[in-house]
Amino acid sequence: MTRTYTILVAALGGEGGGVLADWLIEAAQHEGFPAQKTSIPGVSQRTGATTYYVEMYPEKGARPPVMALIPSPGAIDLMAASELVEAGRAMQNAFITPERTTLVASTHRIYATSEKMLPTDGRYDVQKILEAAPQVAQKAVLFDMSRLAQEAGTVINAVLFGAMAGSGALPLSREACEAAIRGAGKGADASLRGFASGYAQAASTPLGKGGGERSEPGDLTAAEKSPPTPLLQRGETAPHSPLYQRGAEGGFLQREEQSDRVRREFPAPLHELLDEAVARLADYQDAAYAASYLDRIRGVFAVDREAGGEAGGWRLTQEAARLLALWMSYEDTIRVADLKTRASRFARVRKEAAAKEGQIVVVTDYLKPSANEFADILPPSWAARLRRNAGTGRAVKLRTSDISGFLAMRLMSAMKPLRRRSSRFIEEQALIERWLGAIKRLGFAALDADLSLEIVLCAKLVRGYGETWRKSRAAFVNILDTLVENEQAVARGADALKIAIRKAREASLTYEEVKPSAATAKGKPVIWMKQG
Amino acid sequence: MERSFKAEVAKLRLGAGQTFTGEGILAVTKALLQSGVSYVGGYQGAPVSHLMDVLADARELLDELGVHFEACGNEAGAAAMLGASINYPLRGAATWKSVVGTNVASDALSNLSSAGVVGGALIVIGEDYGEGASIIQERSHSFAQKSQIWLLDPRPNLPSIVDMVEKGFELSEASNTPVMLELRIRACHVHGSFETKDNVAPKYSRRNPIQKPVFSLDRIPLPPANYTQEKHKIDVRLPEAIKFIQREQLNEFFAGDLRQIGIILQGGMYNTTIRALQQFGLADPYGESRIPLYVLNVTYPLIPEEITRFCSGKRAVLVVEEGQPAHIEEAINSILRRADINDPHVIGKDVLPVAGEYTGEVLLNGLAAFLELTLPDGVDLKAVAAVRDSVAQAKTRAAELLTVPVPTRPPGFCIGCPERPVFTALKLVEKELGGIHISSDIGCHTFSTLQPFNLGNTVLGYGLSLAAASAMGPNFGKRVITVMGDGGFWHQGLTTGVANAVFRNDDGVLIIMENGYTSATGTQNIPSSPDLPVREGSPISIESTLRGLGVKWLERVYTYEVSDVADVLRRAMSTEAKGLKVIIADGECMLERTRRERPVKAKQLAAGERVVRTRFGIDDDVCTGDRACIRLSGCPSLTIKDSPDPLRTEPVTTINSGCVGCGLCGEAAHAAALCPSFHRIEVIQNPSGWDRFMHGLRQGVINVFGGAK
Repeated sequence: MTRTYTILVAALGGEGGGVLADWLIEAAQHEGFPAQKTSIPGVSQRTGATTYYVEMYPEKGARPPVMALIPSPGAIDLMAASELVEAGRAMQNAFITPERTTLVASTHRIYATSEKMLPTDGRYDVQKILEAAPQVAQKAVLFDMSRLAQEAGTVINAVLFGAMAGSGALPLSREACEAAIRGAGKGADASLRGFASGYAQAASTPLGKGGGERSEPGDLTAAEKSPPTPLLQRGETAPHSPLYQRGAEGGFLQREEQSDRVRREFPAPLHELLDEAVARLADYQDAAYAASYLDRIRGVFAVDREAGGEAGGWRLTQEAARLLALWMSYEDTIRVADLKTRASRFARVRKEAAAKEGQIVVVTDYLKPSANEFADILPPSWAARLRRNAGTGRAVKLRTSDISGFLAMRLMSAMKPLRRRSSRFIEEQALIERWLGAIKRLGFAALDADLSLEIVLCAKLVRGYGETWRKSRAAFVNILDTLVENEQAVARGADALKIAIRKAREASLTYEEVKPSAATAKGKPVIWMKQG
Repeated sequence: MERSFKAEVAKLRLGAGQTFTGEGILAVTKALLQSGVSYVGGYQGAPVSHLMDVLADARELLDELGVHFEACGNEAGAAAMLGASINYPLRGAATWKSVVGTNVASDALSNLSSAGVVGGALIVIGEDYGEGASIIQERSHSFAQKSQIWLLDPRPNLPSIVDMVEKGFELSEASNTPVMLELRIRACHVHGSFETKDNVAPKYSRRNPIQKPVFSLDRIPLPPANYTQEKHKIDVRLPEAIKFIQREQLNEFFAGDLRQIGIILQGGMYNTTIRALQQFGLADPYGESRIPLYVLNVTYPLIPEEITRFCSGKRAVLVVEEGQPAHIEEAINSILRRADINDPHVIGKDVLPVAGEYTGEVLLNGLAAFLELTLPDGVDLKAVAAVRDSVAQAKTRAAELLTVPVPTRPPGFCIGCPERPVFTALKLVEKELGGIHISSDIGCHTFSTLQPFNLGNTVLGYGLSLAAASAMGPNFGKRVITVMGDGGFWHQGLTTGVANAVFRNDDGVLIIMENGYTSATGTQNIPSSPDLPVREGSPISIESTLRGLGVKWLERVYTYEVSDVADVLRRAMSTEAKGLKVIIADGECMLERTRRERPVKAKQLAAGERVVRTRFGIDDDVCTGDRACIRLSGCPSLTIKDSPDPLRTEPVTTINSGCVGCGLCGEAAHAAALCPSFHRIEVIQNPSGWDRFMHGLRQGVINVFGGAK
């Protein structure tokens, strides 16, 4: 006797999962199959994860059987997920079983709030889902449907529908599916394009068989979480490139000299990274500044060599080189103004906004410079005076694509040569030396690469803008004061120190929460008017 | 309104012998018209919103039939509306989301059921229980039981549901008692078909009004009538109901060859139970079960004679009853003992969970446990165990392979939601004040309690947030902030909350989210909706209502201006003015706004007119990835991506193409002095000659200085 065919669709609110369920019903009716669908609309439609459940009885003209309204684990024939973590959720709930389930899922990610609100990388490791898919499913068809939807100018539901049909698992003919889309009217052409591309991709994707053979995890795009691609391949999109290629400060000659120096003084695994850093710093300030960077890194490299870092691929130097380059190219208003007025920036904005030929793009930057930001680029003596009366800043909406806005920004970026005498430059260099000094001092004393690495990684804290930057930087200084440069802490031994530093760093990388229900706002001159 | 229901309205006109295909709740709507109702009312809420929405769009048809339809002020209003059936032969129906709506309605329900009805009164309740539920998890069954309202729980297929609506009215009239029809969320949204009948124009209606009033002291809940009413319920109405249910065979018996055992189940549990039986090979696709079934399409009252008949001679019966307390299971035990039938073991909440939704997996496990406990002849228990265990193994295996559970994805504010910026501002003010107590309400804005805001300390019910703050105010060291939506304000916040707070000169801060609709239920209209159709009445301004009540401190603020919202909050928290301080947070629901504006813009664009499209962007070389902006927003289009900078290993923040350009990002960056990465991008489509001239001029100058192309 024919078995009822069950389809569970996992989608996010606003992705057209309901429409997809409608198409399935229409297509089933086109084939003459009894079919039923249910969903749990309500607030889950508001951006949350939701599911649509469809059953059909693949026998032409059959009288309607008893169809379930709720999916049962172990009894799903086709599991479709419009996003990769939703496929993982289906696995977790046993809606994918090797005996009967075909999994059709998009590999793109839409991050949950909990994944994206952390100041570090809180993303779920989707590699696990990609690896599990062919093992838990009878068949797994995974590819980036979001990209195909964009290319077809449609919503992901159409591509997903096409992939379901193209997987060969759906007991519905392609004609029936397309007729269902056509019958729905509005936007049918775009949906049919999406359906076709999803169908083609699924039909050509090698299928993984349950319990062994692995399927291709599809074409993960670069935007998705993936192991870092080689630096040089990405260099073309690096922010410094356009200016640099124009031969602004630094010049090709000096670049080659620096590059030679990198090759002379450092082992091969570091070359790519150091080239990148040198280019960035020459662009940020000048060749001499880039040279001073290499001088600094040599010190860390010496520690790394002593501690036998070669075996670990010079991780200590790698991390220090990366973080130092970022730190030395800290974002002051000169830098921000520079980045915001590059030709490459306007091109990027146009692309991001999907502006078509002949359309005009107006860019308005939201800035809130306070006296602190100006003090940063002034000499120390002036800066101190200015900082004393620094307020919260003035909100400015600057039309950078207008002549006046552009020139104002350009003028700011032209102050680059003065940066070396600015208060923040002097402060940052001093703190960098403190940090490097500690890495070297403790590094040579303990010869413990892990300990040195913990100190190196603390430089992650030096980033951001305004209040966030001030707080985070203070946390960094606090770690230096209370642990790294504190005799008592150091006396407790490398292992204890390591743990203490890591804990302090990680604590500073979680975001600040307001403690609820402090009875009064201490130190705040707010007058509370109580009743009575 | 979120969408138009024109196609659905056409289905309501189907006549005898035609086939209706559509949603469960719309089948109920059609069945009401087939039953000759004189009036229908209700309060919107998932999963019954569509009943209201469709009738609101079906004015013409209702006028033809003479049916009065009303979107009531709240569920109490809807239940009170049924009072029309107490003295007169008017059939009427009311609908709402349960259990919350039933809570609100319970005052009227008690009075209604005590007085009894002459005309059939049907209450259609949509159970928001289990997966996706956005409310507290309780049973409506208890309400039916305590008020002696008969409770129908039909098998979840359209013919059964429609039949139960029609039979429900007859039952109500036969026993002079209001009847509840309980539909679970998936049954409301199940898509199926049934054969329709002609609509019936009610005998008495707007078109043929009742001419003579009926007065009967028996219908008034004052002594002595209130005592006799209670006795009448038990002595007369209950036996009449039982007689009707038996005579009309509202409950169903399905035979099976495993006669040693049986299953007694709520009608609503039928399909899930059959699926579990199918998985064990104990039922075929058409529901032919090897285990005898007794399906309760009426779960209150129970029919003792039917229960004793079904259970007699059995070794054990399984009671499949979702929710707690286990009213049915306990009643069955009691009925059997009273009838001195002691053989069958009554098994229910011992193998099935006491609390929570009865999903496919729950029933699979429960049924397996029941079979293993009762060892019926002719069942391959090994095969049963194998099926059950394979599901458990699949779960274990997935957990092992994934190592870490996938992140949860609760619902949240839509992209561009006007309510989000209010909480951004509240978060900023909270940081300055070092923690505030916030009394939250029901509505989209309840999402503020979730990440990333985590704002809101209590939720006490729809429109009750201000009342819920009344004892917190004097007992908390700072002013307490109350958040209420405009939906909640009209539902009961105005009287229970505002009027009382003004009267008692309470010193609190009330934020009213004026987005124009009850958005969480599907953007239905409320008295203050901006584009209220004439037929629904003339709009009432919340602001003038408040002023009329005597609110002195009242400020209106446009929500997207985060700095302004923060300022008004600071003022409200620090002013010396006594009494209630009300902030009207003004911002129309973005779903409604885009729905209205999109077609207009598309038309302009097609006509070659100048149209500006706005969105926001983040410079990924300026962003350092501290995510302070996300923690102040949570907008789905504000997300993260791999950094294009090879030196940054952690992701940067980005704005994806879903952005509708509401401006919160930029305003938050300003208000919180976040970072200089944010920018507004305006794409001028079909630019004018002037646009092009100015653009050329700008580009010329910018090129000279080495900028954009």
